[in-house]
Amino acid sequence: MIKGLSYSVFLMLCSAPLAAAPLNVRVTDSGGRPVSDAVVTLHPDIGRRAMPMAANYSVSQKDLQFHPFVAIVPVGARVSFPNLDPTRHHVYSFSPAKKFELKLFAKDQSRSVTFDRAGVVALGCNIHDQMSAYIIVTDSAWTARTDARGIARFTDAPAGSTMSVWHPYLRAPGGTMSRRLGPGERTANVAVKLRAPPMHAMDAY
Amino acid sequence: MVVRVANPVRFAWRLLLPAAALFGASAARADADLISAETLSMHGDVRLVAINGEESWVDEGFGRLRSGSDGDWRLSPQLGNVDLVWQPRFGWALSATAAVSIQGGERTEVGISQAFLSYKPMGSDKVRFSARAGLMWPPVSLEHEGADWHVANSITPSAINSWIGEEVRPAALEATVKTSLGEQKLEMTAALFAANDTAGTMLAFRGWALHDRRTLAFNRQPLPPLPEAFEYYQPQYTHPLLDIRDGFADRVGYYAKLAWQPSMPVRVELFRYNNRGDPEAFNADNEWGWHTRFTHVGAYAELGRAELRLQALKGRSEMGYDEGAGIWVDARYRSAFALLTVPVGTVQLAARTDAFEVKQHGSLIAEESDDRGWAMMLAAKRQFGPLFTGLVEILHVSSELEERDEHGLAPRQRQTQFQAALRLDW
Repeated sequence: MIKGLSYSVFLMLCSAPLAAAPLNVRVTDSGGRPVSDAVVTLHPDIGRRAMPMAANYSVSQKDLQFHPFVAIVPVGARVSFPNLDPTRHHVYSFSPAKKFELKLFAKDQSRSVTFDRAGVVALGCNIHDQMSAYIIVTDSAWTARTDARGIARFTDAPAGSTMSVWHPYLRAPGGTMSRRLGPGERTANVAVKLRAPPMHAMDAY
Repeated sequence: MVVRVANPVRFAWRLLLPAAALFGASAARADADLISAETLSMHGDVRLVAINGEESWVDEGFGRLRSGSDGDWRLSPQLGNVDLVWQPRFGWALSATAAVSIQGGERTEVGISQAFLSYKPMGSDKVRFSARAGLMWPPVSLEHEGADWHVANSITPSAINSWIGEEVRPAALEATVKTSLGEQKLEMTAALFAANDTAGTMLAFRGWALHDRRTLAFNRQPLPPLPEAFEYYQPQYTHPLLDIRDGFADRVGYYAKLAWQPSMPVRVELFRYNNRGDPEAFNADNEWGWHTRFTHVGAYAELGRAELRLQALKGRSEMGYDEGAGIWVDARYRSAFALLTVPVGTVQLAARTDAFEVKQHGSLIAEESDDRGWAMMLAAKRQFGPLFTGLVEILHVSSELEERDEHGLAPRQRQTQFQAALRLDW
């Protein structure tokens, strides 16, 4: 019996690092400044899980900008695009994850698109070139966006995971860098190199 | 105000109609919106102006600013520029912009400032194409924005963009291709144009100026007292929108632009204009063709929250006959400016310095009509709610022109202008 108990304790000790635990990921740029709107995704080796579907998802257009700038939705989500501006918009994406075009809809009108494939969808407006935003379509329940302090929080990060960090201006193929999470790692610091954001002027012509 | 319903009208329509037919495939769709609150807008300002120095070019003087005086300080409330803009949409890819402008101050005039069709299909993620056809300013200015083509960060634009605004607005057919090469962006524009045969007249006879009055279609622009040799060869005005010869676009001009944006927040532009005007052609009113061509470089950089704009232009305008001693007018000119804008709280501050020069190499206008000078400007802009913008500006200009001496004026003139404007965008 003592032998059996010792075996059970051994198994518990071995499995402890594999249990879910809180994880904070802090993303900074090459100058040490926090990077907001980075999307951190954990891909566990085993026990993958889809993100639960919320009641609704939307990317609105107001003051000639998309809101939010970066949205995270699960695969299969239907996203509405309400126009809250007094002018028409023509929302489109050329991204392989979802190519679509919503031609000319006016104030207080909305259109919807279903995103059925994981990946990054870059949004634009054919009338207002300065408008841009991103929808991250994810197949992982552990996907979070960094806040103004550059921190993405997971309350139940699975052990044994690969972590990917994406940002629209990240200098890496696909704007993504990945690394293995260490056993027992509860705070991960990720330094990224960003290119300059698009200039806000100079699209006047 | 003089409205000439002459060749330029026919030229503009003849240019616009084939373009409308070409682009019209996407017209007459459910996407069309011809008249609605969305298609109409109004932009305008009233201003208080204090100025000293000489009489304005607007009053046929040699002054370089929008307002002028008899030497002493003069304070006056003025209507600035008011633009009524109509932007109908004929389909998802085809739209138009038409702006009727009222310009107040020393001389009030009404007219069309822009009228063009825009075609913008979807393209792809690598290449975007767009086209415009009609009356529009070529893409030179880094200071103007919006459908009403207003000055973004001050009241008065630079000498370069003042000249573009007052004399370089042809009837054009323009195409633009934008592409991305990795993190770099490239933009190429090419255009054919007509009805800008007189471009260069104001620079040659008056020199550079700094003001926000713009050429209005078919209206005339005043000239200062002309050299005696031109008494019978040039009226006291010029029509910037004019084909001197009969027939549509007898000598088609062109402009082209190349813009490059590397992976840093900088944009560099190279622009070339040539109206291919016939310097020996003249019409019944004694307005002449001017062979005007210029090269322009522009740069825009974001330095943190500050923005830096640089423009430089070098060009040449020739007019008249070569009777052995050289062509009558051969004006060679250049100008440059640097504009820095910095946000401080809710206020946007702007500082600009200009330098300009016209050198005359003609047989009828020689070095006594050389023009050289500089200008300094400080401006502040603040938004008051969604409708109103307040602007204050101080502008000092110093210019030297020997020709003034012929009219009892000192060749070197210095002028300072304060302006406070309240602008409405509705």
